[in-house]
Amino acid sequence: MRDPLALLPGLLAYYSPTGEEEQAVSFLAESMGAMGFEVWCDEAGNVIGSRGSGNREILLLGHIDTVSGMIPVRWEGDVIYGRGAVDAKGPLACFVSAGAAARLTPDWRITVIGAVGEEGDSRGAKHVCQTHPAPKMVVIGEPSGWDHLTLGYKGSYWFRYRLSQPMVHTAANGASACETAVDFWNRLSRVVAQWNEGKERLFDQLTPTLRSIQMFPDDYSEIVEMRVGMRLPPKLDQPALEALLDGVMETGERFVEDYLPAYRAEKNTPLVRAFLSAIRKAGGQPAFSLKTGTSDMNLVGPFWNCPIVAYGPGDSSLDHTPYEHLRISEYLTSVSVLTQALEIIMNTNV
Amino acid sequence: MTTQLTGHCPECDAELTFNDVIEGEIVVCSDCGVDLEVISLEPFELALAPMEEEDWGE
Repeated sequence: MRDPLALLPGLLAYYSPTGEEEQAVSFLAESMGAMGFEVWCDEAGNVIGSRGSGNREILLLGHIDTVSGMIPVRWEGDVIYGRGAVDAKGPLACFVSAGAAARLTPDWRITVIGAVGEEGDSRGAKHVCQTHPAPKMVVIGEPSGWDHLTLGYKGSYWFRYRLSQPMVHTAANGASACETAVDFWNRLSRVVAQWNEGKERLFDQLTPTLRSIQMFPDDYSEIVEMRVGMRLPPKLDQPALEALLDGVMETGERFVEDYLPAYRAEKNTPLVRAFLSAIRKAGGQPAFSLKTGTSDMNLVGPFWNCPIVAYGPGDSSLDHTPYEHLRISEYLTSVSVLTQALEIIMNTNV
Repeated sequence: MTTQLTGHCPECDAELTFNDVIEGEIVVCSDCGVDLEVISLEPFELALAPMEEEDWGE
């Protein structure tokens, strides 16, 4: 049986950027088997481990892929470095360790999933949505800090703005395609600033970012393409957003690449109550977080519509950075908190 | 059977009575409107509910 201290460095040692998760999946499957889970892999490549045979399921949904950029695993005192230490192998190892340690009751079962592709198109979580029966409650494995619970994530909308116009001489009086595209971006920025007026929290604001701008001239025309990402607040749905963009676009075309709505979980649920109690029992002062990024909560939250939070050790400001590291003492505390929360849930009539 | 519990709001000190609350439940002070967490039933104890913080992160 692997203990939490052996599981985490083992998992970190298998570098698993999105699309290259197989070796880490094999390691985790073997580890979960040794820790008392019934283990299998699904068609998407997700690794799934389950304990117990009750009708009520608590699903602990983590992800096993990371962004690219190898960080050699090393220890420095209480700290372990490695790609995914925070996002999100630390939380996934916490899930497996707590899921193995929690005392089961006859009504419940605990399922841990190490999903693939979360840093890409979330193909692992999409497959889980389509194939896994709706659980009673879900915990998403992302770094919240051991004494915080994440209740919501902003949404995202990605599009390419493309404009083609006949070539004009640089001495002629007329806007180039690049200038027209820049005008579009400036108008969008102004309209968004107006939309955001009075909204103090970033979570409630619409935040566009210009990710790239490229020119593709040929002999007869000039073509400019911008790639724009927008972080979406909960109260702005796709039709309302597209109406706003339509009002800003005087010319050109828009090609939508991706859309994921924001999601905000309820806080008065048995799941949240169990975590609050467990964090307090561990000596913490619990707090809620609202994240300006996205996670698999954006997908599964509206799909299953059951109690949900995101939880896991680690400082999310280290996500995707070359400095990813996790304090082992925090990791072990989060394992204790999650174990306790699971036991509270299974021993409460919910 | 309804269980009635009485305590004081830690923010405005109003006396508050709740029916059938459970540990960890978030309730609202009817006087000042602040969110409160039931942190203990015996003895009945209320604390300010966890703050909502913003955080960068995926």
